[in-house]
Amino acid sequence: MANRGGAQRPNGGPGKICQFKLVLLGESAVGKSSLVLRFVKGQFHEYQESTIGAAFLTQTVCLEDTTVKFEIWDTAGQERYHSLAPMYYRGAQAAIVVYDITNQDTFGRAKTWVKELQRQASPNIVIALAGNKADLANKRVVEYDEAQAYAEENGLLFMETSAKTAMNVNEIFLAIAKKLPKNEQVSGAGSSGQTRRLVESEQQKAPGNCCK
Amino acid sequence: MASSVFSKVDEYGFERPEDFDYETYEDFMSQYLVVLAKRAKKWHELIGEGKSLKRSLTVKRYVRKGIPGEHRGMVWMTVSGADIMREELGHDWYQRLLSGPKDQEIIDTVKMDLPRTYPDNIFFNAADDHQIRLCNILVAYAHDNKEVGYCQGLNYIAGLLLLVTKDDETTFWLLKVLVERVLPKYYTRTMDGVITDIAVLEELVRAKVPDVYRHVRNVGLPWAVITTKWFICLFAEVLPIETVLRVWDCLFYEGSKIIFRVCITLIKRNREQLLQCSDFSSLAECFKEITHDSLVMQCHDFMQSIFKTPGSLPASSISRLRTKLAQHKLDQQPR
Repeated sequence: MANRGGAQRPNGGPGKICQFKLVLLGESAVGKSSLVLRFVKGQFHEYQESTIGAAFLTQTVCLEDTTVKFEIWDTAGQERYHSLAPMYYRGAQAAIVVYDITNQDTFGRAKTWVKELQRQASPNIVIALAGNKADLANKRVVEYDEAQAYAEENGLLFMETSAKTAMNVNEIFLAIAKKLPKNEQVSGAGSSGQTRRLVESEQQKAPGNCCK
Repeated sequence: MASSVFSKVDEYGFERPEDFDYETYEDFMSQYLVVLAKRAKKWHELIGEGKSLKRSLTVKRYVRKGIPGEHRGMVWMTVSGADIMREELGHDWYQRLLSGPKDQEIIDTVKMDLPRTYPDNIFFNAADDHQIRLCNILVAYAHDNKEVGYCQGLNYIAGLLLLVTKDDETTFWLLKVLVERVLPKYYTRTMDGVITDIAVLEELVRAKVPDVYRHVRNVGLPWAVITTKWFICLFAEVLPIETVLRVWDCLFYEGSKIIFRVCITLIKRNREQLLQCSDFSSLAECFKEITHDSLVMQCHDFMQSIFKTPGSLPASSISRLRTKLAQHKLDQQPR
């Protein structure tokens, strides 16, 4: 079926590989694509083209005994693209909801996204809140404490990030990787969204066969 | 035009990517220049004799073989009916919108996207006037059509129209005719038209390239992820620029079904390559690659193939599918 000899394996020792679907959500121009570009390619463009629909990239992070491969779905931020969003977050095991610390409205919109994910996405989804553009601290309007308190109340990971300076970009993905369950069945909504653990010695299996 | 073959910037001001394949491009251009010269002569005769550009088999055939760059604005205006729209609404329509009252929120939204529109195009960097002109066009249109307002993606379409026609007002009318006549409700607040057309494409692929349909389904890649940008940007920022313009030639004349012809041709011609991608990531990557390879760079051959490769695609069956699938979506909505 699907994974006919597909996913990559590391050259290193036994360790397991887990693959997770991660979606980025948030208002237009808060820096979603820039965070992904920094994380995946180590680059930053002052004028990042606006994302239409969704973009897809992958990146791998290594934990002690596990390699975590992220399928990253970067989405368009404009409100009207909202009707497409469920197609993108369906089956996601992780989400980064991004706001811009210099823009209060984007924080409000981030809260709306969090609510929607809690209601409609997979029940065990790991959600991280990213207060981006932390390099523009002199224009800050969303206080760190306020965002942190909100994140705590809602059980979210929280970091302020800067795609421009790379501050906390790897860290937030790493924190998500650590928090994701690596050994149990994850109840993803769609077949595409389920965790695939692929052990070196094991035959490749269809995506339905999860970490177990 | 030939000089652009050796330049790092193409004739529309786009910087060529680092990995641009100059060799293949030069091979292609050496042949395509002959085609362009021949078409230029033919069009010169057609337009020079003052013959009508009204819909006819001859004009349709000419359009399919490519409209010369210098005539594009004028021919697009005529064959799409945009010039009739302008007659009806009045020649000062655009100017009146520009001087009318403005909604600051719309201006702010548009302004946010200006530096993010074709940042790699020399005319769209801040030093040139294209950002301001694009701003005027998009803000005027957002006030003209309140149901649509400003939708991300229109910046790329209007931006390219401006690069080609070099005229703000022509760009405005062409944008208006695309959004209101050529395409079915792609850019409204709920983007229903795009969502429906993605579903229509899925059905067409199921009928015309069933193994790819099954494969994409098995791998679990939603068609929306692959094709949303194809529909919204009408292949701008997706296919090579000359290919996009050749597609738009036909789009203005023949309407939105051309989009499906392009999509199915891309999928069908790369069928084996797509079937070989066994996992999600490589399949998603492959769908990106097939919009950049030498097959699509050869725009003249590619445009001939869109009328052969997909087979029959009557407008009536597309419109039937649209009605059916839009209804299907409505039925599903209250969850």
